[in-house]
Amino acid sequence: MAILNLLAYSFYETIFMVSLSLFIGVMVGGSLGILLYYHSTPGLKPRPLLYKALGFMVNSLRSIPYIILTVLLIPLTRFITGSSIGTLSAIVPLSLAAILLIARATEDTLRTVPKGLIEMGLSLGADPLFIIKKIILPEALPTLIAELTNITIILVGFSAMAGTVGGGGLGDLAIRYGYQRYDTVLMAFIVLILLLIVQAIQAVGKYLTNYFRYQ
Amino acid sequence: MALPFPLVRLQLVNKSFTQQGVKEKILNNISLTIEPKTIVGIIGRSGAGKSTLLRCLNGLEKPDEGHIFFGTDDLCLLDEESLRNQRKKIGVVFQNYNLLQSKSVFDNIALPLKLAGFSTDIQQERVAYLASLVGLDHKLSSYPHQLSGGQCQRVAIARALAIETKLLLCDEFTSALDSQTTLEILDLLKRLRHDLGLTVVMVTHDMNVMQQIADYVYVLDHGSVVEHGPTLQILTGAHHPVTQSLLREFLKDELPDFIANKLHPAPQGDDDIMLKLTFKNQYATKPLIAQLVQQWHLPLNIIAGNLHHSGTHTFGHLMVCLKYDPNIIAAISTFLQNNAVQVEIMGYLQWQS
Repeated sequence: MAILNLLAYSFYETIFMVSLSLFIGVMVGGSLGILLYYHSTPGLKPRPLLYKALGFMVNSLRSIPYIILTVLLIPLTRFITGSSIGTLSAIVPLSLAAILLIARATEDTLRTVPKGLIEMGLSLGADPLFIIKKIILPEALPTLIAELTNITIILVGFSAMAGTVGGGGLGDLAIRYGYQRYDTVLMAFIVLILLLIVQAIQAVGKYLTNYFRYQ
Repeated sequence: MALPFPLVRLQLVNKSFTQQGVKEKILNNISLTIEPKTIVGIIGRSGAGKSTLLRCLNGLEKPDEGHIFFGTDDLCLLDEESLRNQRKKIGVVFQNYNLLQSKSVFDNIALPLKLAGFSTDIQQERVAYLASLVGLDHKLSSYPHQLSGGQCQRVAIARALAIETKLLLCDEFTSALDSQTTLEILDLLKRLRHDLGLTVVMVTHDMNVMQQIADYVYVLDHGSVVEHGPTLQILTGAHHPVTQSLLREFLKDELPDFIANKLHPAPQGDDDIMLKLTFKNQYATKPLIAQLVQQWHLPLNIIAGNLHHSGTHTFGHLMVCLKYDPNIIAAISTFLQNNAVQVEIMGYLQWQS
């Protein structure tokens, strides 16, 4: 049935969008978060001005609702992907949202690691890089993974809005083929699929969190 | 490597902190020396500057003025890189252990070894050795949350000793442990000092710990060294009021209120007399009380007392009560004083009623 094909393709679009933005989010947002932590923690390399500037940027961008962010970013999207429509274009605002969410979560999580551990690292004669890599990050890892699990689920939610820029995905399908055609059955079915996706993400997240709790 | 001069020497160290515009002097012209293979205690009340002083000893705090000599190097003149190298020779044990919860005991102890870039083989060897030193051979694959406080502290000690440590800095580290565990850990330190030739600087507010383990004591108050000396000297002959107040809790040589309230300063009627006998530096246990009773046929009441034993020395006090007779009192005072016991008249009261 054609509808099954559409369903399969939309599923693939959602997974693709979320995975790629998550990856970009972890790479860029994770680094940003570590940087923010690095420059605001006594014992490491506190640089108050740099921290204030970066922090302000991250916080203000975060406060823009996702759907408005998508529209505001159209010029940038066009510049990067050559178009403002399509799955690849939808990844631009989705990645930015991921970067901002992950940066904030990373910084906050790193901060939950007891400060005494930094002092301990310094007393061993460790440099700040070693302290972050071998002391702070391993301790923060379980919580970071838990946070990432939540963020991934949020990104799945955001991806549902990709339809507004022709981005496809399950959300788009649910609205165009389900809601707008009064096909409640299809809508319900897609919701079920999304539910299963979220459950799967949570299960994987929980497993990984526990795996890294005691390394 | 034997060092010909003191291991650590502080010279006129000053440090101030500015908080909310107010400059507070935390360390005030502190000078002290730490001889190798000794255990030096730094005691004082909270806020005396002990922790700041300790942090200066491994360069985590830089004094505003003064010099801190570790061997031949002045820590105050070193750059961050050289300071880090020096810190590798100085181990620190913290009050709340500061262990990595996500790593096994093995990985925790191996942390300094990983930092130094030792191969896994050397790490295995060294960690096994350190674990056996502190008595944790069979716990290498456990995690900190599975260990008791005492065991966690042992892991912390093993980690601090990982790389040829010459100096061990201990920051109030017995505060989080019960007294039995504290004794065990202190015994461990004494053994390590003996076996490894370790030098230890211990910061605490507890005189008990000093008595157990320290060879030499520095008393800190409001950022200055107010008294210092060999432990026994401090315990038995403290001069400074701060030291004496710290000792008071340890020596427990004051009368309970309900007795003290009954005392008259002058004898009334057929009062009894309360004497405080203070023993210092007794090299042998002489049966003085027995002699008193035998020689003068005294029914002596022992009201209160506290005796401490430190190596070969016994010191402490006894509160005794006996019938008041001026001649006898004079005679026994002389006898006791000839035997290096201090006699003090606390007062007169009706005890035998």
